[in-house]
Amino acid sequence: MKSPEPESGAGRPEQGVSPRPITDLSVRRLRGGRAWALAALRTTPVRVWTLSFLCVVAIVGLFAASAVTLDRARGSLSLLGEEAGPQAMATTELYLSLAGMDACVADLLLMGTDEALQPQREGALKQYEANREEAGDAILEAALLAESKTSDEAAPEAEASASATHETEGTGEAGGDVTRAEAGADEGTNDDDENVGSENEGGTTQDHNIRAVLDRMGAYERLVGEALRLNEMAGAAPGEVDPEALAAYRQATRVMHEELLPKAFNLGLESSAIVRVDHEEGRTSMLLGQVWVGAGGIAALVLLVGLQVYLRARFRRLLNIPLLIASAGTILLAVGVVWTLGSGSEQQRIAKEEGLEEVMALARAGAVSMDMQADQSRYLIDVERADNHQQVYLERSQQVLFRPADTLEDYYERVGEVAEAFPEPPEELEGLQNDPGALGYLGRGDEERSSAAQEARLARVLDAYDDLQAEDREMREAMRDGDLEKAIEIRLGVIGPKERPGETDPEEGAFQSYTVALDGLIAEHREKRFDAAIARGEARVAPWVWGLPVGSVVLLALVVAGVRPRLAEYR
Amino acid sequence: MWFRHRRARSVSALAVAVLSVTSACSADREEESLIHADSLVIAVKEDQPRLGDRGEDGELEGYDVDVARYIADYMGIEDVEFIGTTSARRDGLLARPGPGGSPTPETDPTGTPERADMVVATYSITPERKTRVTFAGPYHVAKQDILVRADDDEVFEARDLEGRTICQGEGSYSTSRITAGLGIDVREESKIESYSRCIELLAEGEVDAVSTDNLILAGFMTEYPGEFRLVNNPFTDEKYGVGLPYGDVAACERVNEAISTMYRDGTAEELFEKWFEGTGIEEFDENGEERTYNVPQFEGCE
Repeated sequence: MKSPEPESGAGRPEQGVSPRPITDLSVRRLRGGRAWALAALRTTPVRVWTLSFLCVVAIVGLFAASAVTLDRARGSLSLLGEEAGPQAMATTELYLSLAGMDACVADLLLMGTDEALQPQREGALKQYEANREEAGDAILEAALLAESKTSDEAAPEAEASASATHETEGTGEAGGDVTRAEAGADEGTNDDDENVGSENEGGTTQDHNIRAVLDRMGAYERLVGEALRLNEMAGAAPGEVDPEALAAYRQATRVMHEELLPKAFNLGLESSAIVRVDHEEGRTSMLLGQVWVGAGGIAALVLLVGLQVYLRARFRRLLNIPLLIASAGTILLAVGVVWTLGSGSEQQRIAKEEGLEEVMALARAGAVSMDMQADQSRYLIDVERADNHQQVYLERSQQVLFRPADTLEDYYERVGEVAEAFPEPPEELEGLQNDPGALGYLGRGDEERSSAAQEARLARVLDAYDDLQAEDREMREAMRDGDLEKAIEIRLGVIGPKERPGETDPEEGAFQSYTVALDGLIAEHREKRFDAAIARGEARVAPWVWGLPVGSVVLLALVVAGVRPRLAEYR
Repeated sequence: MWFRHRRARSVSALAVAVLSVTSACSADREEESLIHADSLVIAVKEDQPRLGDRGEDGELEGYDVDVARYIADYMGIEDVEFIGTTSARRDGLLARPGPGGSPTPETDPTGTPERADMVVATYSITPERKTRVTFAGPYHVAKQDILVRADDDEVFEARDLEGRTICQGEGSYSTSRITAGLGIDVREESKIESYSRCIELLAEGEVDAVSTDNLILAGFMTEYPGEFRLVNNPFTDEKYGVGLPYGDVAACERVNEAISTMYRDGTAEELFEKWFEGTGIEEFDENGEERTYNVPQFEGCE
C-alpha cells in the first residue's frame, strides 16, 4: 500500500474533487452562466443552479470516497487472504522441515548399521530428502514475501530507522564478519561465512535471515553427511554411535539449533509482523474510509435538503419528490457503505486473529513437537549429554503446552490432567500463588470463540499429545532400566505402545496420530475461520462494484429530475 | 515508518471522534505504542556485576545497560533514563492502569509509583510472565550453571553435587530445578537474601557451590578474580527478554528488529566480550565449544 495522501486527497469531498467527471456540459453551462450571473448575481436561477451543482459535486464526492475506500477494503482483504496470510503460514513450514531433517539424522544415527532396521533406515533417508525439498520450497516462499515487503516499505523503513543506527551498522558489519569468519575457521566453514558477509550489506533482517539459512544449509548437510558416513564405516550397532560420528553430529545439530532453526523461526515471526502491520493499516484505512463516506453523505444530504427547502420557499411547492428520493437514497448509500466497511474490517479481524494467528501458533506447536522427537533420539545417542537433552525436551514440551512443572515426571502428570479436564481448565495446583492454567501453543484455546468442532479437535490433539508424553515416559524408563534396545524400539515406533487411551491408532504410532490430529485442527481453523471470514468480507464488499456506480448515477438523475422543471420555468 | 503512523494516528483519532466507531481498538493500541515515544525509562539491575550494576561513579553500567541503549538508539529515542531495579520489583514496573490482571505498580521510598517503559534486567521469559508482560527477544540465552571454588577438583557436572551444600537466593528455585530433575540429593542453603551473599559464603567455604544463570555467576567471578570456577555444565535455558508493557506488539516487533540488527552488525559480540572478558564464558560456550554469536530464537510478540 502506498502512502495515503494522494488517494485520501481525492476522497476529500470538500476540496479534492474536481468537477471534471460530472460532464463538461455542466461546466460550460456554469461558465456561460457565470458571466450572466455577474450581471444578476442574486437571481433565482443562479441560486438553483449553484445549489444543484453543489449537490452534484457532493454526490460525486460521496461516490469517489466510497469507491476509493471500498477498493482499499477489497485490496486489504485479498492481501491478507491470498498473499500475506498464506505466505506467513508457509514460513512455519520452513521450521518444521528443518527440524524434521535433524530428527531424521538423529534417527539414522540411532539405528546404526543393523540389518533388521534397514526398512526404517530407508524410510528415514527418504523422509530426510523430502524434508530438505520442503525446506527449499518454504525458503522460496519466505523470500517472495520478503521481496514484496521490501519493495513496498524499503523507502519509509530506511527513513525511519534513521541516522542513529546507520553508522553503527556500517562499521559494525565489517568487524563482525571478520570475527565470525575466524570463529568459523575451526569448523572448516570459512567460505560459508564469508559468503554471508559479502552479500550482507543493506537489506532487511529478513533478507539476512533467508540468506543465512541458505548458506548454512550447506554447512549443515556436509556435517550430517560426514556423521552418517563415519557411523556407517564404524559399523555402529543401534544406539551405539561411533564417537567421531557423534562429534560430527553434535556440530551439525549445533548449526541447526543455533543458526538455522532460530533464523527460520524468526522469519516466521517477521512475516507475522508484516501481516500485522498490513492488517492494522488496512483497518485504519477502512476506518478512515468510514469517516470520508460519512462526511460525504452528510454533505450531500445537507445540500439536498437545502435545495429542497429553497425550492419550497421560492416556488411555493410542497415537496419535490425526486429530491426527496435522492435524499433518502443518499442516506441509504452512505449508511450502506459505512456498514460494509465496518463489517469488512470486522471480518478481516476475525480472519487474522481467530484464523491466521491460531493456524500459525498450532503450526509452531507441530514444528516444535518435531524437534522434541529429535530430542528423544539425541537423548539416546548422546549419553554424555543425555541429562541436557532431557532438559531441553522438557523445555520444548513446555513451549507446546505449559503447566508449572520442574521435572518431566511432574510434567507427564500435568499434561494428563489437562487432557482429562478439557474443555474445563485443569485443576488448580496446590501451593502455587496463582496458577496461570494451561499456556503455550496448545493452551491458547479460547472457550468463548471456539466452535464445538474446534473444541472436539483440540480435545483430540490434547489426548494425542498426552499419548506422546506417555510414550516418552516409557522410553526414558526403559533407558533408565538399562534396556537400550527397548528404548530404541519405542523411539522408532517398532513396537506398538502398550495401552493407548483416546484416539491413537496403535498401528500409526503416537507421533503420527498426534500430527494427524494437529493437522485436522489447523485445517479447521484455516477453513472455518480464516478462509470463511475472508470470503464473507469479500462477499460483502463485492455487490458495491456495480451497486455504487448505479446508485450514484440514480442519485444524479434524481437531482436533475428534481430541478429541471423549476429551471424550465425561467427559459 | 513512524511518521506515517503518526499521521494515521491523528486522523484515526478524528475518525473515532466523528463516528465514535467502537471497533477502533486496534488503532488505539497502536496509538499507545512505545514506537511513538520521545523518551524512555528503562529499568536495569543495580546489583548484578557486569550485567546491571552501579559503577564507581554511581552510574548504572553493564551488558544489559548497553543492550538497552542500543535498542533505544535503534528506535531513534535519544532521551533515555535508566533506573535500577531488583528481581522482585520488575513486573510491577511495567504495570499500566487499566483492565486486566496487571500487577500493582511498585512504589519508591517516597511513595510515588515506579514506572518503566522497558525492562532489561536479566528478565527471563517464562510462559507465566508472558501473561502479564510482552517480551521482545530474547537478546541472550543464558544457561543455568554452577560456580565452585577454583581449588575444587571434584565437581565437574551437576551429578557431582550429590551430598554437597548449595546456596541459592531466597525465592529462587534454580537449584531445585537441577537437583529435583536429576534426582540428586543435595543440602540446600536457601535462606540467603541475595546471590552476592551466596558468593561470599562460597568464598568463605561455608557452602560448596552456587547455582544460577551463568552470566550472573560470570559477573561475580570478575569481582573475585581467580577464586572461582564455572563448572560449565549447562542446564536450563534462561531466555533474557526485553520486558514491555503488556500488549505493545508494535514496540515488541521493533525491539526484535533491533536485536536482530545488533547480532548482525557484530555489536552483540562486541558488548559481550567487553563485559565478560576474562571470565572464560566469552570464549567458550556451555558445551566447551567456541562461542558463536547468533541471534537467538525469539519468543514472538503475541
